[in-house]
Amino acid sequence: MNKLHLTEAVRTIKELMVEKADYLAELDARFGDGDLGISMSQGFTAATKAMEEEKDNQDLGIILRTAANAFNEAAPSTLGTIMSFMIMGMAKNLKGKTNSGLEEVADAMINGVHMIMEKAKSKPGDKTILDSLYPGVYALKANIEKGKKIAFKEALKAAEEGLESTKNRKGKHGRIAYYGEKTIGEIDGGAVVGVLIFKALMQYIEK
Amino acid sequence: MKKIINNPSDFVPEVMEGILLAYKDRVKVLDKDKRILMKSTKTKKGKVGIVTAGGSGHLPVFLGYVGDGMLDGCAVGNVFASPSAQKMTDMIIAANNGAGVLCLYGNYGGDTMNFAMAVENAEFENVKTMEVLVKDDVASRPKEEAAMRRGVAGMVYAFKVAGAAADEMLSLEEVAKVTQEALDHIRTIGIALSPCIVPEAGKATFSIKEDEMEFGMGIHGEPGIEVCTMKKADEIADSILAELLLDMPLKKGDEVSVMVNGLGATPLEEQFIVYRRLHMKLAEMGVTIFIPHIGEFATSMEMAGLSVTIFKLNDQFKKYLRVTASTPFYTNYNK
Repeated sequence: MNKLHLTEAVRTIKELMVEKADYLAELDARFGDGDLGISMSQGFTAATKAMEEEKDNQDLGIILRTAANAFNEAAPSTLGTIMSFMIMGMAKNLKGKTNSGLEEVADAMINGVHMIMEKAKSKPGDKTILDSLYPGVYALKANIEKGKKIAFKEALKAAEEGLESTKNRKGKHGRIAYYGEKTIGEIDGGAVVGVLIFKALMQYIEK
Repeated sequence: MKKIINNPSDFVPEVMEGILLAYKDRVKVLDKDKRILMKSTKTKKGKVGIVTAGGSGHLPVFLGYVGDGMLDGCAVGNVFASPSAQKMTDMIIAANNGAGVLCLYGNYGGDTMNFAMAVENAEFENVKTMEVLVKDDVASRPKEEAAMRRGVAGMVYAFKVAGAAADEMLSLEEVAKVTQEALDHIRTIGIALSPCIVPEAGKATFSIKEDEMEFGMGIHGEPGIEVCTMKKADEIADSILAELLLDMPLKKGDEVSVMVNGLGATPLEEQFIVYRRLHMKLAEMGVTIFIPHIGEFATSMEMAGLSVTIFKLNDQFKKYLRVTASTPFYTNYNK
């Protein structure tokens, strides 16, 4: 993966987030403040733009760091900041590299997920974006030897299963926590974002 | 709203301009928006940098403590709002003298999120950082949830300790450790008699009845423990002290520093009346007071009221309080 691939992959995520913005807003409005769709589409739009503007730099880490900061500036909501941490975690792993293989990409994504866990003091099972991202990145890592197509397919499958599992859980973080038991039976909007990321990556790889 | 201002939207920039004009021999700004204030006096090479950040509207907190013996830098936001992660990042990088930077700030949602991002950015630039959060407001959460308490006036003592430890050329880990130890011995409670007005909002966000006071109110008007009828100074001092001692017991022979901090509209005279009672009560217990701090250290614009901070001392903390510090808003030459 080089700079061009990375930028295109993030652009694909952006396009899907823009397309699904209304759906995300609707999901979020049930227990949150309804800004999920806007913040994800604005955040990924800003990140894509910032990456395109990094003309002279080929370092994947530096490009991702630029993207993380642009995301944070454009979408300072909670999930916006959480996405910035994910991108920042990836940036730290890929610093100094202009090209990376599938395993390095998987490791960087794992590092991003751990950065979210550390900074947001959250873990899988709390009915958050981690419920889809966490199984997704580990499934990606576990399947790298089968090639990128299968690896990303497995990652998407694991993320979707993770999303399903949020139905049976109570929300613990942020505004959703006030609703407690009432949140059982509903999927988590943040976890949907995690699935959309893997869906977009799958689309990008199939292109 | 009755305030001596120009355009409400110019409030923060004009405050910053005034400070820069008054103290340009000691402080400077890093950015053209004038949101990052840095010490401009000579700094020893290899000294750990100490930085903080937070919203405007609390002078002398936060930026007033940028100077010799205390902070190397401070990023300021709009009134009661965190500065951006980008400003914090630029400040951390500028405050690094090769030994890393301690980020020492109050426990508020926006500040912690932005600092978390800034710290990652600084590390990306190979600047080592550590974070210590101030959580001294006893009234903000019960003791079992002390880790979630807010940071208020006690942070001034933490700035002093961290600055003095850094000047002793301790390592980043050591400075963070001693600062955390100091904070473990610092407790604060405030009372409010009247609200404050955010310039751009133009009106008070809450009200307190003429014959009432709010016990335990935060410096942004966060609700406290209870609203009660207005009391006499001695009774106020007694109930504050009782609440503080419940959280951090003191015994005969202990030494403390006491800070009586005016919130903005309470006269110094009234602060000394409260100090008098606190001093008498502590003396009765056999507790001695070292370098009392009475005045305005952490305010909330025109809020009337005060806070009381107790810092339980050991020899190291006493040494750190005594060693000279001189910033545009703080000196211990007179203490």
